[in-house]
Amino acid sequence: MQGDVSVLNSLDGYDVARTIPNFEHLLTIGTLAELRAAVSHSGLTLSLPQVQQLASHAQSLEPAVCSLRLGIIHTYTSELLDPWFALAAALHGLHLQTYHAPFGLSLEEARADSALVKHQPDLTLLMLRREDLHPDLGKPLVGFSSDRQEELETEVLAQVCGLVGRFRMQEVGQIVLTLLPPVFSPDLGIYDAQFERSESTWWANVKAEIGRCLRTSMPASLFLDLDEVLLDIGRAHFFDRRFWYSVRFPFGAEAAAEIARRVVGIGAVIKLPKAKIIVLDADNTLWGGIIGEDGINGIALGPDYPGNAFLDFQRRLLAYRQRGLILALCSKNNSADVDQVLKEHPHQILRDEHFAARRVNWLPKPDNLVSLAEELNIALDSFLVVDDSDYECGAVRQAFPQVEVVQTPARPVDIPICLEHVARLEVLSLTVEDLAKTEMYAQEQRRRELHHNLEKSGAPLSEYLSSLRMNIRVGFNDSSHLTRLSQLTQKTNQFNLTTRRYNEQQIEAFILNGNWLVAHFSLTDAFGHSGVVGLAILHITTPAEAELDTFLISCRVIGREVESAFLHALFRHLAGQGISEIVASYQPTAKNGLARSFLPDQGFEECSDGRYRRDLRKVPPSPESAFPVAVEMTT
Amino acid sequence: MTTFEKLQHAIATTLNVPATTITETTTAEDIAAWDSLGHVNLMMTLGQTFGVLLDVEDFSRLNSVPAMIAFLREQGIE
Repeated sequence: MQGDVSVLNSLDGYDVARTIPNFEHLLTIGTLAELRAAVSHSGLTLSLPQVQQLASHAQSLEPAVCSLRLGIIHTYTSELLDPWFALAAALHGLHLQTYHAPFGLSLEEARADSALVKHQPDLTLLMLRREDLHPDLGKPLVGFSSDRQEELETEVLAQVCGLVGRFRMQEVGQIVLTLLPPVFSPDLGIYDAQFERSESTWWANVKAEIGRCLRTSMPASLFLDLDEVLLDIGRAHFFDRRFWYSVRFPFGAEAAAEIARRVVGIGAVIKLPKAKIIVLDADNTLWGGIIGEDGINGIALGPDYPGNAFLDFQRRLLAYRQRGLILALCSKNNSADVDQVLKEHPHQILRDEHFAARRVNWLPKPDNLVSLAEELNIALDSFLVVDDSDYECGAVRQAFPQVEVVQTPARPVDIPICLEHVARLEVLSLTVEDLAKTEMYAQEQRRRELHHNLEKSGAPLSEYLSSLRMNIRVGFNDSSHLTRLSQLTQKTNQFNLTTRRYNEQQIEAFILNGNWLVAHFSLTDAFGHSGVVGLAILHITTPAEAELDTFLISCRVIGREVESAFLHALFRHLAGQGISEIVASYQPTAKNGLARSFLPDQGFEECSDGRYRRDLRKVPPSPESAFPVAVEMTT
Repeated sequence: MTTFEKLQHAIATTLNVPATTITETTTAEDIAAWDSLGHVNLMMTLGQTFGVLLDVEDFSRLNSVPAMIAFLREQGIE
């Protein structure tokens, strides 16, 4: 039949040719969120016109929520990726504007007056080939002696770090470095893996060193490993040698789609609200079947199909916790039934302690989400909800379009990977605080219990606060916390006076500038360590005056007077430096009403220009003893 | 849909031009968007849309609608 063309399925082991009617279905989907989910689950490899049509359709569904400015430095053809970039951006509601630098690796673009910098990119993508890093990489690596291989590794690393460093000195947004995988498998074929001067081992070492260099000395810089994409797609399908040899464009349709998805995904992580919590249904999501009907011995959860697929999904969810996300359980069930599985089922992986909160009841899901948002103090636009039911997914999408909803696939074999392509689950950095997130929420629960008990017995708030035995450690201009400080500026919405968002590079610039002061504090109390939870950035405008550019406290520790204790500790420090006047401002947003009265409450006077001033000599800072918080200043 | 109509739609989408500008006699010179970049995109589109294998040697000669239709006929697509 004419027109009945098969479009190759992506490599999920089925090799089932899917005919175009599935693509037609995509064009009928009416919301961006559902379209995004459908495209990633369809497994379709789209042709170029299909990509373009789908992008148009996506753009027509909803106006873009924000823009993503992309700059590309490339030593092979990049312009042909544009249709795939456009689709990936449209699916996230991002308006994409791309600047492709002239072909080649010229440091002209790493200058302050370059077209790249003028483009003001949010993200600068470096699309380089391995051979660009060193002339010797055009020769067989295995032909070099061990010593020469070691030297070469050092030289290549110096070249990479030097190159990224040059771009990092300019305002080019988040840098994403990529290296094109080789067209060939290793020169020694199957023997390379155990050869003593193995080519693949050498590259694995180099990539590890690149990662270390970027992590430790390049703020806001990420190595995006295209070898991982090669693993997903397979070498034969990754490259289209016809276009590679004729016009230096290496990618087949699948690779183009996947690379665009990952790059734009990084853009989504930067520009969209961060995902903080995954709210999980139980029946047919964490196990097969319905606990209330099938009983603990009837649900599918074990080493055989389909229970083993659900177990793998639970394992994968533990991985997301490692990224700093927390898990919550939200299920229409009798609490005792779900409890029984969590406590007694021998194969259940996710137990009580893995969930930061639970709502197991018969209330409407949207109501439960609101209740969870309040309990955990996390905004709904940071929620991701997983549920198998059409009805529940629809109810949540309708009530809260800002919540990301993923419907658990109907086929058990598709369930373990159902969150793999959710861009907002990617992280670009990890801090100590991220790794301990669930523990932090557990600590918070114990604090709430203490507070509740004291309240019941009629004790005043001050008794609760002093029983916490809080202690803050204030640090100044400390670049070891760059990632966390940048994260705080980007995630903190409620107790934030001016809501200025800074990346790591910008915070570092403040630290290095003698006219600016970056102060932060970490909090410990009787229940544990909360990590770095507050930040102030000050501009010393004259020897006697400082301007408070940024003052924010993590929502987790609001309401315990740590914000005042920190502010007055800062005042005392600044007064000791000869500063007598502080100027501050409050910029109202939809989310920071909590901080509205802070400056007046702390003795600032509102001036005619709308800003606030405090004279440290007329109104001296309060001593440490004025607050139920001990202060340790590190110099 | 005839082969020509399908081809017309594919070319128009790829080059982002109105379908009416693509006729049975259109050549690359007739359409501004059918430049070297556009042509590479069309080679991708042709192969993917009709499920035919184009080789690098075919790229340079498939620079018009008649050439593409003749090529498709050679591949058994009428």
